[in-house]
Amino acid sequence: MVEKLKQYIGGEWVSSSVAKYTPVTNPATCELLAECPDGGREDVDRAVQAAKAAYEEWRSTPVLSRAQYMFRFKDLLESRFEDLAEMVVKENGKTRDEARGEVRRGIESVDFATSVPSIMRGYKVEDISSGIDETAERQPLGVFAAITPFNFPMMVPLWFLPTAITVGNTFVVKPSPQTPLSMQLVYEIMDELDLPEGVVNLVHGGVEASRAVMEHPDIVGVSFVGSTPVAKIVYETCAKHGKRVQAQGGAKNYIAVMPDADMAASVANIMGSAFGCAGQRCLAGSVVVAVGDAYEPLKAELLKRAASLRVGYGLQETTQMGTVISPAARERIEGMISQGVAEGATPILDGRGKVIEGYEQGSFVGPTILDGVSPEMRVAKDEIFGPVLSIMHARDFDEAVTMINGSRYGNAASIFTRNGKHARDFKYRIRAGNIGINVGVAAATASFPFGGQKESFFGDLHGQGMDAIEFYTDKKILIERWF
Amino acid sequence: MTSALNSFGAIFAFAIDLEAKLRDYYQTAGSADSAGACEKRRANLERVRRENVTEIKLEPIEGLNEADFVLNLADTSETGWRANHSAAARFYEAAAPKINVREAQRALERCAKQHLALTV
Repeated sequence: MVEKLKQYIGGEWVSSSVAKYTPVTNPATCELLAECPDGGREDVDRAVQAAKAAYEEWRSTPVLSRAQYMFRFKDLLESRFEDLAEMVVKENGKTRDEARGEVRRGIESVDFATSVPSIMRGYKVEDISSGIDETAERQPLGVFAAITPFNFPMMVPLWFLPTAITVGNTFVVKPSPQTPLSMQLVYEIMDELDLPEGVVNLVHGGVEASRAVMEHPDIVGVSFVGSTPVAKIVYETCAKHGKRVQAQGGAKNYIAVMPDADMAASVANIMGSAFGCAGQRCLAGSVVVAVGDAYEPLKAELLKRAASLRVGYGLQETTQMGTVISPAARERIEGMISQGVAEGATPILDGRGKVIEGYEQGSFVGPTILDGVSPEMRVAKDEIFGPVLSIMHARDFDEAVTMINGSRYGNAASIFTRNGKHARDFKYRIRAGNIGINVGVAAATASFPFGGQKESFFGDLHGQGMDAIEFYTDKKILIERWF
Repeated sequence: MTSALNSFGAIFAFAIDLEAKLRDYYQTAGSADSAGACEKRRANLERVRRENVTEIKLEPIEGLNEADFVLNLADTSETGWRANHSAAARFYEAAAPKINVREAQRALERCAKQHLALTV
C-alpha cells in the first residue's frame, strides 16, 4: 500500500486535517511513490502555532548551541547522501549526478549556517554624543516560512531553513506537492537531531496551503521560489499582510558566444546549462546568441553534442538527461516547441515525441535546438522550463547585449569569450542577477546571495549568503547613556 | 553488456565498483592488507564523489568505455593480480583527464599511481 505522507508539526509526524491527497509519481517509471496531503489552513495554523510556541526558548538558546545542531545535521546529511540523491531522482526525474549536485549544494547551505556565530554579529560606535554609545544588535524575528518548487526539492528549502533557524527563528517548509519526498526525508533526518519541538515544521499542500502561509498573521516572513506569475502573487500578498518577502521567479537566460570562444569547451559547458536537469532550472541557458562568425561553428558543435546526449531514467548512472516533471509539463513544452516552429524557427534537433525503451510512459522530452529564432517569437521571450535551446544570431557584441537586455527576465546570462574587454563589458551592461563568464550555470554558492533582477525576482534581499542573515534578522538599535 | 563511462557519476561508480571487486578478490585470496588498501580507496572515492560533484561543471564525457578495463577475477596468480592492477591503473589514467574538478581528478591520479606501483 502506498504511503500517505504526514506533516511534521511540533516534533511529531501527524496526519493532515484534510482527506484529499494528490499522487506523487516517478516521472520516468510512472510508479506511484506516495500520496501527498492537500493540506489547508488548519494544517498551516497548527504548524505555525507550534513554531510560535517554540520561538522564545529557541531564540534564547545560545547561538553556539544552535550552530552545533547544524554540524550534526551536516554529518547526518553526508551519511544519507546517496539516499537523498536517489529520492531526488525518483520524484523529480533528473540524473543521479544532477541529484548529487543538488544534495551537495543543499549541504553547503548547512555548512554556511554553521558559521552563523561568527557572521551574525552586530556593531557598535562609542560616543555618538558625549557619554552615549550606539549599538546595532541582530535579533531573530519569529516564525518564517518557505514555499518551494519541484525542480530542486532538496536544495531550495535548505537555502532558507538552516540559516533562518540558526539565527534564532523557527520555521515552516511547504514543499511542492509534486516533489514532497526529498523534504520528507530531510525532516526524517532532522528528527534525529532532537531539535526542540516546533523549531522546524513541514506542511504539505498546494495553493490553499500556500495562501494560508502568505496570509497567516503569525508568520513574519516568507521565502519563495517558483514561477514569475506566482512570485508576483506571493510578493503582493505577503506585503499586504505585513511580511518580509523574497520571491524568486522565472527566467529566460541568454548565453552569448563570441567568435573567439573556445568552441568545444564552451559547447560542453552549454550542454550542462541548456539540458542539465532537462532544462528545468531557473539558471538554465535557454537562448544562445551566436555573435558574428560564431554562428556556423557554434550551431554545428551544439547539434553534434546535443544529439549524442543519452536520455533515460536518471537512476541509471550513464543517463545524461532525465525526464521533465510530468506529462502535463511534457505537453506544455512540446506545445511551445510547436509554436516556435509555427512562428518560423527551424528544429535542427527535435525532442518531441521522445520515447525511451522500458519507460514508454515516462515524461521524456529529447534535447531540442531551434535555429533561426528571432526576438519576437514566444520561444525567445517566454520561459519554457524544458530542454529547449533557441539559437539567435547577432551581428556584433552590442546587438547581443541589446537582445539580452530586451528580455523581461533577468535571472542569469553568460558569455563565452577569450576577450577580457567583452567579458568585462558584458558583466557591466547586462541586466541580470547572475553573470557567467565562460560558465553556463552561474549559480551562487551558499555564502553568496542568489537572486535575479527584473521579473525574475521580487523583493530586495536575495536568498543565501549575507542577504539571508539580513532577511532573517532585524537590527535593533540600542542607544545608551549611564549617569 | 558494457557501457560508456559518460559522466562524472558513471566514472566514479565504475571506480568504486572496481575497488570493491578487487577488495573481494584479495579477501578470497587471503590477502587482508591488499583487501584493506582496496577498501580504503573505495571509501575515499565515495567521499570524493560526494564532496566534489559540482553542479555548474557537470558536462558530458566522451571516449571512455567499461569494456576497455575488464578485470579477470578468476586468475589469482601473481600474473593475474598484476594484470588486474594494470587494468585498474589504465582506467584511472584514462579517466582522470576527463574529470573537470581538480580535487576529484587528483584522487583518480593517486589511485592510478597506487595501482601502477603494484604492477612491477
